Amino acid sequence: MPVWNFCNFFILKESLAFIFEMAQLHEDALREYDELELCYSETVNVAGKQRDFGGVERGDDQAALLNPGNKPLTQIVQDDSFREFEFRQYLFGCQAKLLFKLNRPYEVASRGYSFIISFSKALALYESILPFCMREVWVVTACLALINATSSHYKDGLVAPDVEKEFYRLEGDLYSLCRLKFMRLAYLVGYGTHLERSPVNSASLSMLPWPKPAVWPSIPPDASSEVLAKEKMILQASPRAKHFGIQRKQLPLEPSVLLREANRRRASLSAGNMHEIFDGGMSPSNKSHAAAMSRTNSSPGNFESSIDRPMRLAEIYVAAEHALRNTISNPDLLKSLSSLEEFEQKYMELTKGAADNYHHSWWKRHGVVLDGEIAAVSFRHGNFDLAAKSYEKVCALYAGEGWHDLLAEVLPNLAECQKILNDEAGYLSSCVRLLSLGKGLFLTKERQAFQSEVVRLAHSEMKQPVPLDVSSLITFSGNAGPPVKLCDGDPGTLSVTVWSGFPDDITLDSLNLTLMATFNTDDGVKALKSSTAIVLKPGKNTITLPLPPQKPGSYVLGVLTGQIGKLKFRSHSFSKGGPADSDDFMSYEKPVKPILKVFNPRPLVDLAAAISSALLINEPQWIGIIVKPIDYSLKGAVLHIDTGPGLKIESHGIEMEGRTKPIENTVAENGSLTEKKKFELLKLENGRVVFPDWASETDSVLWIPIRAISDQLPKGSSSGDSQKRSIVDGMRTIALKLEFGVSHNQIFDRTIAVHFTDPFHVTTRVADKCNDGTLLLQVTLHSQVNAMLTIYDAWLDRQGGVVHMGKGDGRPTSGFFPLIISPTTRAGILFSVCMENMADTILNIKYGISGDRTTGAHPPVLVESAESDGTKQDLIFRSALIFQRPVLDPCLAVGFLPLPSSSLRVGQLVTMKWRIERLKNFEQDEILYEVNANTLNWMIAGLKRGHVSLSPEQGSRIVISILCVPLVAGYVHPPQLGLPNIKEASISCNPAGPHLVCVLPPALSSSFCIPA
Amino acid sequence: MATTACFIIVSRNDIPIYEAEVGSTVKREDAAHLHQFILHAAQDIVQDLAWTTSAMFLKAIDRFNDLVVSVYLFLNLVSIHTRFMLLHDSRNDDGIKSFFQEVHELYIKTLLNPLYLPGSRITSSHFDTKVRALARKYL
Repeated sequence: MPVWNFCNFFILKESLAFIFEMAQLHEDALREYDELELCYSETVNVAGKQRDFGGVERGDDQAALLNPGNKPLTQIVQDDSFREFEFRQYLFGCQAKLLFKLNRPYEVASRGYSFIISFSKALALYESILPFCMREVWVVTACLALINATSSHYKDGLVAPDVEKEFYRLEGDLYSLCRLKFMRLAYLVGYGTHLERSPVNSASLSMLPWPKPAVWPSIPPDASSEVLAKEKMILQASPRAKHFGIQRKQLPLEPSVLLREANRRRASLSAGNMHEIFDGGMSPSNKSHAAAMSRTNSSPGNFESSIDRPMRLAEIYVAAEHALRNTISNPDLLKSLSSLEEFEQKYMELTKGAADNYHHSWWKRHGVVLDGEIAAVSFRHGNFDLAAKSYEKVCALYAGEGWHDLLAEVLPNLAECQKILNDEAGYLSSCVRLLSLGKGLFLTKERQAFQSEVVRLAHSEMKQPVPLDVSSLITFSGNAGPPVKLCDGDPGTLSVTVWSGFPDDITLDSLNLTLMATFNTDDGVKALKSSTAIVLKPGKNTITLPLPPQKPGSYVLGVLTGQIGKLKFRSHSFSKGGPADSDDFMSYEKPVKPILKVFNPRPLVDLAAAISSALLINEPQWIGIIVKPIDYSLKGAVLHIDTGPGLKIESHGIEMEGRTKPIENTVAENGSLTEKKKFELLKLENGRVVFPDWASETDSVLWIPIRAISDQLPKGSSSGDSQKRSIVDGMRTIALKLEFGVSHNQIFDRTIAVHFTDPFHVTTRVADKCNDGTLLLQVTLHSQVNAMLTIYDAWLDRQGGVVHMGKGDGRPTSGFFPLIISPTTRAGILFSVCMENMADTILNIKYGISGDRTTGAHPPVLVESAESDGTKQDLIFRSALIFQRPVLDPCLAVGFLPLPSSSLRVGQLVTMKWRIERLKNFEQDEILYEVNANTLNWMIAGLKRGHVSLSPEQGSRIVISILCVPLVAGYVHPPQLGLPNIKEASISCNPAGPHLVCVLPPALSSSFCIPA
Repeated sequence: MATTACFIIVSRNDIPIYEAEVGSTVKREDAAHLHQFILHAAQDIVQDLAWTTSAMFLKAIDRFNDLVVSVYLFLNLVSIHTRFMLLHDSRNDDGIKSFFQEVHELYIKTLLNPLYLPGSRITSSHFDTKVRALARKYL
């Protein structure tokens, strides 16, 4: 039985696989190789057995992982097994071949990636025996080979979408791994200055350890010119100054300083020399340059002795380059590292490949970051358009996801591109975005530079006015607390808090703010404007804007717009408490607080007449108007007074006094209150009165002296006539227009009706009429006003002359006077007069009035100019007296004489009798009479109509009789006697009205009887 | 305690709402960027992995040389909700898991604060202190 060893096992397995493959059983063949790999990995690492790793032959640096026939197996046999370096690649090559045959390029990529990773680790173990940077070179070539093979075998659309995605991701990973190792090699040969110190490069390179050869390569003897060239390159490559003067510590591309690492790995270098390099306290990145520069004067000739002194950076580069030339057998790779241009070309190719594949795999973050690297190269080559586009992508990603630290790295680059491209809009918005990034990310000086750029551009000649969104930089909100409350139609001022994110004061040439109605979408937005320039300090600013009258509703802040120079900006964001928590992504979700409430129209003031009782007509009277502000200030209010017809304002001043509402108070603390009571004389100019300030909040009464003019002579009425005078005669109106509010925008119109009346209403009654024509005339005076009236004298007067009885002037006894009449009571005066004709009699009453203007009629307003003697002027009231003839003045009395005692019966004749008696001397002696009866009820025999003569003496009588036959039984109206020639008023009837008589049915007649 | 650890809470919209360097090493000036960069890139992986597992704790989803990214995420029905991401060099998975769980508690307490607007930056110093204390305890 043969001894088991791996070679035998391998021969067995591979021939099996070969047979399977011949039989097109690729799966089975693959399984055989998988088992072989498993088995090999178990046997190869048996402890205690030191094996040759391999990989030291020329050409081994080129990965042969897809080329199983690279070396014949016999060459790699070692004892009973195979050399690891070649054999693992061989096995993978066989697997890949089968997988490609199975059309599974994805699996090749997937297995290949992990193979490269694990193989790279294996290479790391043997790094000390392998050529310099063998590991990096192998990974680069392996990745490239794998990418080429898989992508050429891969056909789009043949696999499931997620597999496709995964495939592209693996390709991206391979590219980026390759890129990483390539960059490391490039750094070693001195192209580090051309590598962008971006987060992605820094993150990958700074954590990747340096190659660890047993001894760091030393400088070949004849390389002095190359060293000079490298030194020149180091000197020329000054770190690119960032735009805006941003000074940032550069991100590292190396895990530790190469100078130290390389020299440490040179066995002969002592620790003392090391310190010689790092003299001074400079930062490591500067040190490397300083060290290099300090030794440029040393003669490059004595390289032989350089083994004893630390190498300079340029020397390290040259040494590494030479070592790599020995390592790298692939001419392409060698060429890529040979010059800067070649390097950049390869670098771009790898970066683009990685970015594209990541984008295909939807790993946008990985992809976009690499786009940024492409942009950096484009930028260095002056291809700013391309660079700007790529940078924009990166910025959009970081900004969209809110990773501000990363954004702060890239955004200045974008801004610089835009500036060079003269893309003003883009540049401005980049500046604004830079300003709106967190304060900790940039120094104040840098932020000031951003601002000065914005201001400079804003004031420069821009081709087109550029709109700029500064939502993240200038935020605004209403003031804390309840919203501003305004009445409908009122203007006001709105105080808004604006936070400026600018590091310095910034002058806004104009500022507009829109208001949006919260529940009224139809009429859009209202803009508030501040025309003057506003200087915003950094941080919180309070700005007051004039607020024109708005419609009722509740409003929130909309958009802030404004201008800086020629730059129009707008900001949408509201911030609650300042920039500290203004997370611009969440601000849209913040509940919006109403800033302004405009109330629905409501009464703001009330004007009313102070009294409801009547005032004296034709006399100057105070009319009180109560001005009652309803929770609204009347400051500066102007009242226009317009009197209606028949009303006149007396020319002198208007009084205004405060009004305390409860009347009880005035009674209780009369003295103290009168002191407190405000009082002021106001002037009426062109029908306008300006209110004093004290009256703006409290109720007040405005006393206006007016006089109602009526040229009608008041008429009395006789006692029988109960009709009152129409109230309308005494009505006058005052149109009041009150202009108030902040800018007199509120107008209150009210027409007040005032009732004027005479002091008395006079009714007369002839109390008695003597036979000699003397009348006792009772004059009743009804007080019409709510004031005490005192009558001093009363007399009758007439145009034609009055014949008086007794005293000549018709006055009642003077002892009556003064006669005091309380409000709304009556008083009577008896006149004894003798008159021919009572018409046109005028009653004159001299009276005084004592009343309070707050309750009604009151003494007339004194005119200062006239009669300043202080005595009370008595008033004269004149009223026409109305006399009426007595309603009943009968001259004739007609009496219906009683019927015979036996009752009336149908068919029986009856005699109706009326007696006419003359009551007065009366000129007529022939009297026409007429008897009227209902012909259905009565049959009348005799003359119905005729003349009777009646002697003209008083008391003469005559009886008129007439025969009638009642025709129907029942209660019927008897016939009536009428006297058509005489007025009804002159007839006194008895009974006075129509009456009924009872008519019995006819007595039974025997002739109609039928014998039984 | 881990020498390097960068803890970050990423909200629903991929916005970082809380960041803390909780490692014991003195913070390198440039490292913060790198940590952020790594965590940001790791979100590509999170979005792929989130739907393949029902576990909340995904350990070591991404490796960056010797740094590892672990994630603790909550899903709602349609999207990845908030996720906690920790970039660390410690291998103490149990500790990391406990750390995440405790921070989860803290985060929920923060969410319950009526004055905290979900999705906005967590500025509470109390939260910060607690997170750092937890990091010292578990990492």
